[in-house]
Amino acid sequence: MNAALRRLFRKGSPRNGEIDAFIASSEFPLIDGNEVTFVYRGTADAVYLRCWISGFDTAQPFQLLNGTELWVSTIELPPGSRIEYKLEVEAGGQRHLIIDPLNNVVAHDPFGANSVCQGAGYERPRWTLHDPEARSGAIDSFNVESSAFHEARDTSVYLPARFRRNRRYPLLVVHDGHDYMKYAELKVVLDNLIHYLEIPQMIVALTQSPDRLKEYAGDDRHADFIANDLFPQLASRFPLMDDIKARGIMGASFGAVAALHAAWRHPQLFRRLLLQSGSFAFSDLGRHRRTAVFDPVARFMNTFRDDPGELSGKIYMSCGMYESLIYENRSLVPRLQGQGIDVRFEEVRDAHNWENWRDRLRNGLSWLFPGPLWMVYE
Amino acid sequence: MPQTILLGPQRPIINLGAAIVEAALPDGPLGVISAGWQEAEGDVDDIETVVERRLVDLRLYQRAEEVFAAAPDLLAAYRARQDRLQALQRLYRLRLRRLLSAARQMLQTREDPSLIEPEQRHAIAQLRALDRHHKRRVNSVHREFDGAFDIDSHELLARHVAEIRGILEPLETVVITGGNVAVLINRLRLFRLADLLAGKNLVAWSAGAMAASESIVLFHDNPPQGRRNPEVFGPGLGLIRRHIFFPNARTRLNSSDRVRMQLLGRRFAPATCVTLDSGAALRFTDGGIAAAAGARQITESGKLRKVRIR
Repeated sequence: MNAALRRLFRKGSPRNGEIDAFIASSEFPLIDGNEVTFVYRGTADAVYLRCWISGFDTAQPFQLLNGTELWVSTIELPPGSRIEYKLEVEAGGQRHLIIDPLNNVVAHDPFGANSVCQGAGYERPRWTLHDPEARSGAIDSFNVESSAFHEARDTSVYLPARFRRNRRYPLLVVHDGHDYMKYAELKVVLDNLIHYLEIPQMIVALTQSPDRLKEYAGDDRHADFIANDLFPQLASRFPLMDDIKARGIMGASFGAVAALHAAWRHPQLFRRLLLQSGSFAFSDLGRHRRTAVFDPVARFMNTFRDDPGELSGKIYMSCGMYESLIYENRSLVPRLQGQGIDVRFEEVRDAHNWENWRDRLRNGLSWLFPGPLWMVYE
Repeated sequence: MPQTILLGPQRPIINLGAAIVEAALPDGPLGVISAGWQEAEGDVDDIETVVERRLVDLRLYQRAEEVFAAAPDLLAAYRARQDRLQALQRLYRLRLRRLLSAARQMLQTREDPSLIEPEQRHAIAQLRALDRHHKRRVNSVHREFDGAFDIDSHELLARHVAEIRGILEPLETVVITGGNVAVLINRLRLFRLADLLAGKNLVAWSAGAMAASESIVLFHDNPPQGRRNPEVFGPGLGLIRRHIFFPNARTRLNSSDRVRMQLLGRRFAPATCVTLDSGAALRFTDGGIAAAAGARQITESGKLRKVRIR
């Protein structure tokens, strides 16, 4: 049992007042070295920890502590880890997924919110927080007429602070761009890293698909949209550097598949790729082991693994160790390196979520697009 | 007697206006060199607001672009020189890394002082010899360029130099902003500013202060892809001698690493290593420091202390 709970129970079952005081004076979940103890207080028939990470049971049961309404579950979590979770409370024959009422740290994603457990040693990177000294870039929006999709696609563009038309800028295309802005603080990160001179001033195109599981799954129409619709219209509207090494494309999960597929199908367009927790399903023999939505992904990845084509340049990849996708991501690295591509792969103690992707942006962007900090003294 | 005022970054603390007032610099318009800002050269509205004087930007960056566009021979020679300088810098870094690593180990070794101290001195001396050698080599590349390409007789360049001289002639004070120090020093050299600035009051910050000094040392202990070793980039204009400037040191220097700081202080002695953080100001007259605020000296023992007025 966790040391703090042992103290609470040292004279037998604590009274409600003692539990109130314990809860008011503690931070949850309780962290004790490598051990993390989740606590739920309430009437229930059963409580489960749900964190959908590879390596744990899908539903970790809580134990009711004697003579109280305190439910606890302890897991081992290595230092520096960060996981997202919910509690599943079963009462009166019904089950409810809730965020942890005792934990104020919450992460948001397109599906809602999760509680966040930050293991010993994890700290949110300073550069992901708003810095009042960093000048703020601007967001511009325009419609991209798409011949690939036969419709207009709303696209946002990040323009760096002090943007000037007489200067030329590197370009980064971001899949799920609006989600990156909303859930991974992309604008704050760009403002900060540009201010710290760790990346150059750059133009960032933020795309968002209305049907990402289809269009991002190795769909040729999407790659053609990027190459034949989006890029020419960006180039005509904004002063972009005429250098393939100054053009990058990125994405997470299915967005990473879309980025890799677009760069592979149009190798003359991008030489810088940032791929986070890519859903790179493949099969060496027979069918892959994932759901049907991965079928087109696996078709593309199997083709790509057979023939990476003319893809070249630098690729930064990251993946959480607590994701089942770690296997596919690890497998892809030697294939890319065998192609002569300069690959940097980062494994972290995190899972498939936006804050994991947020925390890796500095390493990825500053490696792919080194800033002028060595030469600039403002 | 002309004065030189060196400042830290003008963000978040803007002390340009106050420094000019405190030094009682003569009234009148100021010349501005903002070539370090590259394409943003000439965006000096913020400075104008602070100093409340008319500003005349010398447009060195833009002038260089015009010269390069009109004179392909000069551009080709200039690029060839830059390629040679970059290659030289890479070779210097190879040797520097090993010498710095050895010197660091020497400074960390606990041993009988009679044994270790001569070894430490020798390790530092080797570093200093490499730095001197590199600076000489960089100088020789510049001389080769000047010799092989007779800039003084280059009509377009000579016209720009004459124009700049004409602009500067009635001005008593020139401001050099921060920015990209390589771009800045290259433009200053190209248009012979070392000569043209003689006799003028000078106010410079960050990269401008580095360019005004005798030697430019590049440094950053906390870049995202791992720290790099401080390296001599080459000579500055030499308007301020025996000092090396480290702008924004609070962010860029890991001052808690005593051995690293000690190496800096000892490696560049007898020059004085001076930090220039935002809000810092140093006023030089007749080669000596007449006033100092907020600037710190890196001592040979690796500590930071107030700059002494001489």
